[in-house]
Amino acid sequence: MTLLKMDGITKVFPGVRANDQVTFDLAPGEIHALVGENGAGKTTLMKILYGLYRPDSGTIRLRDQAVAIKNPRDAIARGIGMVHQHFMLVPPFSVLENIILGKESQTAGVLRLEEPAREITEIMNRNGLPVDLTARVEDLPVGLQQRVEILKVLYRGAEVLVFDEPTAVLTPQEVVELFKTFRMMRDQGKGLIFISHKLDEVLDIADRITVIRRGQVVKTLLRAEASKPLIAELMVGKPVFLHVDKPPAAPGAVILEVRGLRQRSPRGHLVLEDLSLEVRAGEIYGLAGVEGNGQSELVRAITEAVRLESGDVLLEEQSILAWDVRTRRDRGIGHIPEDRHRYGLLLPFSLAENLVLGRHHRSPFVRGSVVDFARMRAYARESIEKYDIRTPSELTPAHALSGGNQQKLIVAREMRFDPILLVASQPTRGVDVGATEFIYQQLVEARSRGKAVLLVSADLDEVLSLSDRIGVIFKGRIIREFRQEEATKEQVGLCMTGEKRSA
Amino acid sequence: MFFPTLLDFLFRGLEMSAPIAFCALGAVFCEKSGVVNIALEGFLSVTAFTVVWGSIAFQSVWMGLAFAVASGVLMSLMHAVATVTFRVNQIVSGVALNTLAVGVGRFLSQKVFEQETQSAANSYMFPTVLHINSFTFVLIPVVAACWFVLYKTVFGLRLRTVGENPEAADTLGISVNSLRYVGVIMSGVMCGLAAMVLYPSKWVNGMTGGRGYIALAALIFGRWHPVYAVLAALLFGYADTFRIMFESKIPIPSQFVQMLPYVLAIVVLVAVRGKSRAPAADGIPYEKGE
Ligand SMILES: Nc1ncnc2c1ncn2[C@@H]1O[C@H](COP(=O)(O)OP(=O)(O)OP(=O)(O)O)[C@@H](O)[C@H]1O
Ligand SMILES: [Mg+2]
Repeated sequence: MTLLKMDGITKVFPGVRANDQVTFDLAPGEIHALVGENGAGKTTLMKILYGLYRPDSGTIRLRDQAVAIKNPRDAIARGIGMVHQHFMLVPPFSVLENIILGKESQTAGVLRLEEPAREITEIMNRNGLPVDLTARVEDLPVGLQQRVEILKVLYRGAEVLVFDEPTAVLTPQEVVELFKTFRMMRDQGKGLIFISHKLDEVLDIADRITVIRRGQVVKTLLRAEASKPLIAELMVGKPVFLHVDKPPAAPGAVILEVRGLRQRSPRGHLVLEDLSLEVRAGEIYGLAGVEGNGQSELVRAITEAVRLESGDVLLEEQSILAWDVRTRRDRGIGHIPEDRHRYGLLLPFSLAENLVLGRHHRSPFVRGSVVDFARMRAYARESIEKYDIRTPSELTPAHALSGGNQQKLIVAREMRFDPILLVASQPTRGVDVGATEFIYQQLVEARSRGKAVLLVSADLDEVLSLSDRIGVIFKGRIIREFRQEEATKEQVGLCMTGEKRSA
Repeated sequence: MFFPTLLDFLFRGLEMSAPIAFCALGAVFCEKSGVVNIALEGFLSVTAFTVVWGSIAFQSVWMGLAFAVASGVLMSLMHAVATVTFRVNQIVSGVALNTLAVGVGRFLSQKVFEQETQSAANSYMFPTVLHINSFTFVLIPVVAACWFVLYKTVFGLRLRTVGENPEAADTLGISVNSLRYVGVIMSGVMCGLAAMVLYPSKWVNGMTGGRGYIALAALIFGRWHPVYAVLAALLFGYADTFRIMFESKIPIPSQFVQMLPYVLAIVVLVAVRGKSRAPAADGIPYEKGE
C-alpha cells in the first residue's frame, strides 16, 4: 500500500519551472529522502503537498484516494505535517501554547491546557522528544525548538511528516538524537520525507532516495543501490569530486593575532575567556566547536567594532580594535557571515548591487560621488560567470535566488575584494554538494594566494578536510590546537565536549 | 477639608483616566493582532460627536452609546480595509483617518447642530455616582474581560499569534486577515466606550485633546498588556487631574503645568526604551508566500 502518491506535479513560477511532471511516492514505515541542488524544487514540491502552493497540474493521492489540498488546514486534516526550513514558532509563547496553536482544547472558547499537556507528554515519551512544556520557546536552543516543531506535527496526528532541511541548524549530537526519533516514528508506521544536502545523513537514515534536478525527477534509488558519488552525480548532472585537493601549506607571516580576548554577554557571563589564536598568511585555521561556545562572538570581535573587557585583535601587527567596520574592510578583512539573510545581503537589492556592497563607495564603482552603474553591471556579469551564480540576470533581486546561489554571491563578493584575511562562518550551510565543492575550492585558492583564512564551521568534516590547523573552542577559549595530520575526527569531537586529555 | 479633596482627586482622576484607558485597551487588541493604530485620536473625536448626536436625536443615552460604538466600528473598518485587505502602510492610513476625523466632526456638527465647533447641550447622560460619570466604573469589568479574552481563550491565543508570527498562523490554518479585522474593530469599539466617559454635556471641537495619542504612550509603557496599559493610562489621567485641580495653587506658569501629562509621556517612553517589546509583526502588512 502507498501512503502518499504525487503524480505529474508541475509548478511554474515567473521564469522558472520549479516542478516539472514530478512523481513521488511514500510507503508507511518509510523514510524517503529528497535531494537535489539548490533551487531544484524540493521545497516547492513539499509546499504543494502542504497546501501552501497550488500546483499548475498533477494529482495527489493519499492511501489511494485522490485528494485536493487547497490550504494547510486541508493538509493537516488529512494527516500531513511539515517541519519547515525556517521555523514557524511564536518565540514569546510557551512550548505548550506553540504546540496546541490551531488545535486548541476548549470549553466555550476558553482554553483548556491540562488534557493537551497530558497528551503531549505522552507523545514526547513515545518518540523520545522531551521538552519542558512551560519554557518559553525563545529561551530554547535551536535543537529543542525543532523538537517543538516536531511535536506540533505529531500532536495533529500526522501520518506523513515532511522535514525540510531539519539538520542544517543542528549540531552533530542533535542530528543523532533527531535520527533516533525518525526511526521511532518510522517503526510506528509513519511515512517521513527528509530533505538534506548532507549526503552522509541521507545514506545513514533513508530507505529510498529521490533525486531531482531543475524541477524534474532524475531517479529514485533504493538505499542499497545508492552511494555518495552516485547521488552527487545524479544531482549535478556530472561527476563531483567530493575530495578537496590541497597543496601542502606554506604559511608565512602572522596576519591575524587574537590576544587574550575576554567578553561578557549582556546577562553577565563570560562568552570569551582569554581567547588567543594566530592565523598566518597561506593558512586555513579551522575553528571546531559545538555552537554557542563563543564562535560568533570571536567573529564579531574581528569583523565589527564591539566592546571587549580585555584583549586585543591585531591585523599585520596593528591593533584594529578602534577601527570601524568600513576601515576593517578597507584594510583587508573579508567576511562570509553565518546568517546570510541578516548580515550578508540586502535581499530586495539586485545581485549587482549586492556584489559591490562594502566597496560601493570606492573606485571603480563611483566616479566623483556618482555610482557608475554600467561599470557595476559589467563587474556583476563577470562575477556571475566566474562564480557560476545561477540567475536570470544581474538585475535580479537577491531574494529570488535559491539559498546556495545567495551564498555563492557572498563568496564572490568577498573573494573579489581580495582581502588579506578572510573570515568564513558556516560557508556551506544549506548549500548543495556542487556549490560546496566550489566554495571549498575558492577557500583553498585564497590560501594558495597567500591569504589568511579563519574558517568557523559546525560541520566537523568540513573543518577537518580544509584546515591546516584546527583550534577547538570550548566555553570561550581555545582548549586545544591540532595540526591537520594529527587530528582525527574522534579526538577533535571528544575535545569539543570539553574533554582535554593530555596534549 | 483634606479628605474631601483627596477623595475628589481620586474619583475625578479615575474619570479623567477612563477615556485614555479604554482607548489603550482598544490599541492593545489592535496591535496584538499586528496592526498599528495611530488613528485612535481620530476615532475618539468622531465617537465623542456621535454619542452626543445619538443621545439628543433619540433622547436616550443608550442610543448615544449605540451611535458611538457604531461610528467607532465604522472608522476602524476603514483602517482595517486599508491596512489588512489592501496592505496600505499602517501609519499612512492612521494619519489619513486622523485628518478625516477632524473634518467629519465639524461637517456633521454643521449639518446637525448648525454650528461647526460645538453641539447643542445634551441632557441624556448616565447618572452621576460619587460626583463622576457612572460609566467610568464600567472600565473595571472591561479590563478584566480584556485580560481574560487575550490570555485565557482560544481567540486571544490566536490573535496574539497573528501579531507575532502571521506566517506560522497561516501554516496552522489560522486566518490572519480575519483575526486582524477583529483586532482593529475592537479598537473602534473601545473608542466608542471611551467617548461615553469623555463627553461632558456637549461636544466641542478638539475636546479629545490628544488622549488618543496619550493612549498609545500608555500602550507602550504598559508593554502591550491590558492591565499594565490601563495602569499607565491611570498615571497619565491622574497627572492631568492634578494639573486641573491644583494649577491655580502652584506658583509655576500654567503653561508649564499644562505640559505635565505630555512631558510625562515622553519621559516615560524614554525610560522604558528597550524594555518594552512590541509584538514581532506589529506594523507589518502580511502577504502570503505565493
Ligand atoms: N515564491 C516563489 N516565487 C518565485 N520563484 C520561486 C518561489 N519559490 C521558489 N521559486 C523558485 O523555484 C525554484 C525552486 O525553488 P525551491 O525553493 O523549491 O528550491 P529547493 O530545492 O528547496 O532549494 P534549496 O536547496 O536551496 O532550499 C527556484 O528557482 C526558486 O528561485
Ligand atoms: Mg528548500
